[in-house]
Amino acid sequence: MGTFDIALLLSGQYHDWLLRGLVLSLQIAATTWVLAVPLAIVIALLRLAPLAALRAAGTVYVEGIRNVPLLAHLLFWYFGAPELLPEGLKQWLYAGNVEVVSAVVALTLYTAAYMAEDIRSGIRAIPVVQFEAARALGFGFLATMRRVILPQALRVTVPPLISQTLNLWKDTSIATVIGVAELMYQAAKVESATFRSAEAFAFATAAYLTVSLAITGLAAWYHHHYPARTA
Amino acid sequence: MRLPSHLLLAATVAATLFATTAQADQLDDIKKKGEIVFGVLGTDEPNSFVDPKTREIVGYEVDIANAIAKKIGVKPVFKQLAVAARIPELQQGRVDILAASLTHNKEREAQIDFSLTTFVTGQKVLIKTASGIKDVPDLTGKKVLTVKGGTQEPNIRKAVPNVEVVTFETTQQAFLALQQGKGVGYVNDEASLVNDYAKLGAAKKDYAILPTNISVEPLALGLKKGEKGVKTAVDGVLRELEASGEANKLFVKWYGPSTKLQFDKRSFRIDSDAI
Repeated sequence: MGTFDIALLLSGQYHDWLLRGLVLSLQIAATTWVLAVPLAIVIALLRLAPLAALRAAGTVYVEGIRNVPLLAHLLFWYFGAPELLPEGLKQWLYAGNVEVVSAVVALTLYTAAYMAEDIRSGIRAIPVVQFEAARALGFGFLATMRRVILPQALRVTVPPLISQTLNLWKDTSIATVIGVAELMYQAAKVESATFRSAEAFAFATAAYLTVSLAITGLAAWYHHHYPARTA
Repeated sequence: MRLPSHLLLAATVAATLFATTAQADQLDDIKKKGEIVFGVLGTDEPNSFVDPKTREIVGYEVDIANAIAKKIGVKPVFKQLAVAARIPELQQGRVDILAASLTHNKEREAQIDFSLTTFVTGQKVLIKTASGIKDVPDLTGKKVLTVKGGTQEPNIRKAVPNVEVVTFETTQQAFLALQQGKGVGYVNDEASLVNDYAKLGAAKKDYAILPTNISVEPLALGLKKGEKGVKTAVDGVLRELEASGEANKLFVKWYGPSTKLQFDKRSFRIDSDAI
């Protein structure tokens, strides 16, 4: 196989491809994160809602999503779901970057299911008397959550959420199967074009590892500066 | 970074041992094992695909592979590979021979060896007629779909510099994406393309294959680099198939007028590995 050609990774066309892949991976992860966190909060509240029907909806969502592999989610949201849209909307979507849109939808729904469970545990970690005290003072369910419980719960939830962010970052690599030109896709493309598998995947590995370690570092920093308070 | 010297030594010893094993004659190993492993696609009718009735992998390349195994006197084993995994799997010795719709080109000659050319096909583009595209140059700025890891992507980029290409794990996913309208064209070897076109049934009228080839692809079996024994044996079998007329029979069986592909006659002979 010859020697490891580092020059291939440092400049030139293949470097550009890989870098473009890295940027798209980061964009997908960031967009997904921004959409998934609010959705996760809604799902977590559904699972703790006073109405049985809402709780059931939350449970169905979480269990339905978490028990199906991410690969199946991606294939469904790319090959399956868009076909059910009305013709005009479908054409509009297909004319754009449908690959990235499908990937973000699949990753958002998937990540939100996991984040929702972490947020729910965070909420449950807040002593129930705080909830009761807020209700006794006349706050409704949503106001209690917003003003009393969530501000405390989210702080407890940050470390597991960072861990889910790490998973999300790694999960973006699966989007290659639906033709999203992210980092794994570009690495495979460089491999096909040059037969330099070691170099192409070394770049991808180093990039995933660097971002992952940065996320882990963030978790450690947060833990050090904002330790969970006990009520 | 400095490596401790004993680690370096261990690495050197391992590398030397590995190099020694790699030098053993592959043909002898195959005979000793009593089986020969062919890497096939299994998703590319009629070269290699799963027969829906018997659930076995069959096809033009599978028949050629069986003939080779029979001649060497060992049991053929078929291993399905993804298009992008073909060359790495061969190089790492997980398959002995590739019979996987593999294009023989100059770039790949640095990596692996090739048998005599077993098939010649052009690569073409299947489009939806509603897109208004009449021939290959009209694809400029449009999105086309194909499979990862083959020659399809580089070839279409060469033919149409400003085309946008989206690739999938299998040709069938790319074909599905075309049917769903996620791109205007689907690039593949002509034989596979004609076969996919035939599968469309009544919907055929909405599709067309563009007249111009984007490239001419000689397909061959992929052999491990430097394994002269295997190459001699394989080429010998291919020459025999050609001389006995068996090669032409195989062509007619899988590509001829009574098949979905309906090719009238063979435009090539199996007699050379020059490209």
